[in-house]
Amino acid sequence: MSSSTKFLTLKTCDDKKFVLDEAIAVRSQTIKNMVEDDCVSNVIPLPNVDSKTMTKVIEYWKKHSEEGISKDMLMDFDKAFVKVHHSILHALILAANFLNDKEMLDMMCQEVVDRIKGKTPEEIRKEFDIKNDFTPEEEEEIRKENAWAFE
Amino acid sequence: MQDSTFTIPNLPEELITEILKRVPVKSLLQFRCVSKSWLGIISSSDFVKTHLSLSANDKEYKHHRLMLSFVQPEYNLKDCSLGSLLYGSVTEAFDLDYPMKNPVKSVWIVGSVNGLICVAIEENDLFIWNPSIRKFKRLPDSMPTLRCGYYFMYGFGYDEVHDDYKVVGIFCIFGAGGSYDVEVKIYGLKSDSWRNVDDFQGGVLLNDSGKFVKGKLHWATTARLGEYNGWDIISIDLKDEKWGKIEQPCYEKGNFDFVLGVLEDNLSVLCNYHKTRADVWVMKDYGVKDSWEKMYTISCPNDPGKYMFSPPLCMSKKGEILLVFGSIFMIYNPSDDSIRYPEVTNFDACLEAEIYTESLISPVLQNEPIPQQQ
Repeated sequence: MSSSTKFLTLKTCDDKKFVLDEAIAVRSQTIKNMVEDDCVSNVIPLPNVDSKTMTKVIEYWKKHSEEGISKDMLMDFDKAFVKVHHSILHALILAANFLNDKEMLDMMCQEVVDRIKGKTPEEIRKEFDIKNDFTPEEEEEIRKENAWAFE
Repeated sequence: MQDSTFTIPNLPEELITEILKRVPVKSLLQFRCVSKSWLGIISSSDFVKTHLSLSANDKEYKHHRLMLSFVQPEYNLKDCSLGSLLYGSVTEAFDLDYPMKNPVKSVWIVGSVNGLICVAIEENDLFIWNPSIRKFKRLPDSMPTLRCGYYFMYGFGYDEVHDDYKVVGIFCIFGAGGSYDVEVKIYGLKSDSWRNVDDFQGGVLLNDSGKFVKGKLHWATTARLGEYNGWDIISIDLKDEKWGKIEQPCYEKGNFDFVLGVLEDNLSVLCNYHKTRADVWVMKDYGVKDSWEKMYTISCPNDPGKYMFSPPLCMSKKGEILLVFGSIFMIYNPSDDSIRYPEVTNFDACLEAEIYTESLISPVLQNEPIPQQQ
């Protein structure tokens, strides 16, 4: 048996190709399952991830696969890694979810939580690009149920 | 960077849920009015349960608080952050506006489960309260016909099989010549009524609230009043109201007081050897006699006037345990046998301390008018 490094080619939705060490790529449970089920041909398509997001994901995977890296260094890396615009954060959450990387998904979700707790519903709508589908009367009614929480 | 240069990817409901289940309760109450979809997520009973279990299992104790009762200078309830008490430097205790608050009426914490706390005012006016969402439910009167010389105990817990929160009241009525009569009643939040429970076989109950472990409430009892030469631990199963008895280990000899507690979801016993030390026993495997283990022995600090330990309230990530010593908090570290006293402001001499988890669980069932706390 050869112990030489195996490489996988990942193709994002905007047709960019990424060649990656299999040992790193299987941080994604989705890719791992494909490899184990032997349904990997030459190229693994990632129809839900764009190249910009995938670059970030790979940056994270590589850092977290580095040999001999200390916990403190990883923590510093993670702290800097999540400091991105919330549109990128959301894209990374979608990617982590599709790739099924629970560790990354948890970290990204926690970052969103740290950003949104304490914000007002108006700010949340803006940050998530959500349309307020309540009538003013409906919204007033819901606010009244827990008026103290808005103080 | 301008917002307009970015399109914000829409997250599916599944991922919004993934985010929201980590958000603190107070923010969630505000986020209910973000949109119909967010209101739907936050209101769903599955979400409420997932959110609770994530909060409850967090060893950082970010969503755990301690409910504290006070007698001096007046009756009062306060609370403080458990995470801060264990891991922070200074912790602030906050005065609470609890239902039916009255500085001249005694207030007693019966128990806490899933973020709900059962409180008794003047020992007989009970309510189930979620302080994190400020909702409460006052219980109907429970008192049996009372004669001279009586006392009563309560316990509060959750019946998972029927998804119901229940209060058990044990009323002991003394007669002439040391005889006594016991009446037991159980209240269910769903039926909102008290019913009688038969077959009570315990002795005289020690003066403490029932301890809730593995779906059952537990009390320490002794065969006869004034004869403290042995204790039984009795239990009542909240799902079928069956009584049971817990087998106990051989405690070390000596004169000691006996207190029941709960540590990390296990039943515990604290043996308080008068002014010398306290042993903490924990039943690691519920119902298995051999699984009782003496986990800690804490020497009594040389502090005149203070010698009563409470059973440990919780364990930190580092294996330290939090207790109440006399009327202040003490953190004991078994690895080097050291003791420290966390600093708490707006706090002095508490009577009881009970841990609760911040949760969205409502004590008020749907379609019921909601008594609002201001």
